[in-house]
Amino acid sequence: MTLAELALTVTLLGGLGLVANRFGLSAIPAYLLAGLLLGPNDPKQLALVEPSEVTEFVADLGIVFLLFFLGLEFTLGRLTRSQRHAVLGGAIDFAVNAGLGLLIGVAAFGFDFAALILAAAIYVSSSAIAVKGLIDFRRLADDETDLVLAILIAEDLILAFVLGFASGAGAEVDETLTIVVKAVGFIALALAASKWLSYVIDRVLDWLPHEFFLLAVVGFVVGMAAIADELALSEAFGALMAGVVLSETSVRGEIEERFFSFRDVFAALFFFVFGLSIDVAAIDEVGWILAGAVVVTLVGKIGGTLWAGRVGGFTPRQSFNAGVALIAHGEFTVILAQLVAENPAISETRQTQLVAFAGLYVLITSTIGVVLMKESKVLSRRLFPAPTLAEGR
Amino acid sequence: MPIDLRETRLPGIGVKYGFRLDSGGRIALILHNDGKRELYWFKRADNDEPSAVITLDDDEARELGAVLGGAYERPKIVEDLEMALGELQIEWVPVPDTSPWFGTTLAEAQFRAKNGITVIAILREPEPVTGAQPHDVIQRGDTLVTVGKAGQYPAFYRRLERGNSDE
Repeated sequence: MTLAELALTVTLLGGLGLVANRFGLSAIPAYLLAGLLLGPNDPKQLALVEPSEVTEFVADLGIVFLLFFLGLEFTLGRLTRSQRHAVLGGAIDFAVNAGLGLLIGVAAFGFDFAALILAAAIYVSSSAIAVKGLIDFRRLADDETDLVLAILIAEDLILAFVLGFASGAGAEVDETLTIVVKAVGFIALALAASKWLSYVIDRVLDWLPHEFFLLAVVGFVVGMAAIADELALSEAFGALMAGVVLSETSVRGEIEERFFSFRDVFAALFFFVFGLSIDVAAIDEVGWILAGAVVVTLVGKIGGTLWAGRVGGFTPRQSFNAGVALIAHGEFTVILAQLVAENPAISETRQTQLVAFAGLYVLITSTIGVVLMKESKVLSRRLFPAPTLAEGR
Repeated sequence: MPIDLRETRLPGIGVKYGFRLDSGGRIALILHNDGKRELYWFKRADNDEPSAVITLDDDEARELGAVLGGAYERPKIVEDLEMALGELQIEWVPVPDTSPWFGTTLAEAQFRAKNGITVIAILREPEPVTGAQPHDVIQRGDTLVTVGKAGQYPAFYRRLERGNSDE
């Protein structure tokens, strides 16, 4: 990738993101689509950008920043405060959707580590797209928004753990166990650091002059990512934990403010670069997996959340709205596929299939999800006529 | 009446406050982490689509909050005053230039005895008279600060303007 190509790419991404925004869609599928069209795989008419070390490096930085920001939101206080919705709703959502996902996974890959990854990719909804939808479609005042956010938190937590072993585990049983133990240890250390070291970190960062503040934080984040990578955990996992460590410090707001633009640029490039590696020709092999996964997602997310909502005391209409908000899949699904593409325990054919699957699956679910979410109130009124309103709070 | 204000955290977004209105509607206020505020109004509490949404930035929200809270006007004090006075009201009454009462004392004018209106102070240049006494003299350009019942004022105005002529 030359500088000229980079300039062209970034401009194109900006334009596409704007167009997607116009139609109320998330920018994530737009970036993926751009990568898909410009990449070297089918369709080849517009193949302008070759994946290279540069694009890979940019994508790595994108993952690191995306997950670092996610980690910043994971404060200990918030997790212990998260209410019964997160536990109950999260458990039901997990049982239904990870279960159905595993079914598809086993059907596609047999009893293989790839099946587990496919299950996780189908299980985890997109926080980014759901939250954007909730804001855009003016759902923040609705009671069921609490349920949506609680389930998203539970999903993110479980995925944080999955990221720990997604790129390293799967070959041998004891090797996998070692990695799981390392991941748990890493999480424990990060949580401990965020609880007891936040004061020290605060003092150090406060004392640093302005320009070194940025450098210090980048150094810390990339350092954590590198350490995690060395430990055969993933760089994504390391960056996430870096965010967790800094989440309780008082400079958190400043970090968020100053890194916002970085994250947006690199995340856009990350999705674009991932799009480059999607091979639409693989649809022959992943087509039925894709169709199955989309059906399972619609049934599982709406059905599962309907159940979770009813248990949590929401009306059928509210629960339906909540379920629809969770249909869109995005960043985590893509990140998982990207991590797996580095995992030697999974055969290359399956890596290619997983990448193609994740890309197309995100394109489809994010589009269906957003369109349905926009109309979900009308739909829910049709599906669940008036009497149920009497129970409404 | 204390309002039942419900606070809910919206992780990653901000905080939501909700309360019901006596009129049967409800209001939800969202404070975004970035300072933006959104005010949702539901005409009826169980409506699932808001009837109106107002979006404000931080400055606008603070300004509006101050106005709503009564920082500029003080309706609370007015309310208290009305309560304390009961049926009585306080009126600022300029003495008409044609009034026959110039040069007479308040005692001679007998506003209290004949009209039930008490003069408590007189505004005049350069010094206002606070705590008006029976021997204070009415002068051209005076404004009388009076206390009385609403029903007694019409007669008082007539007598202040024309004297005892129409008795």
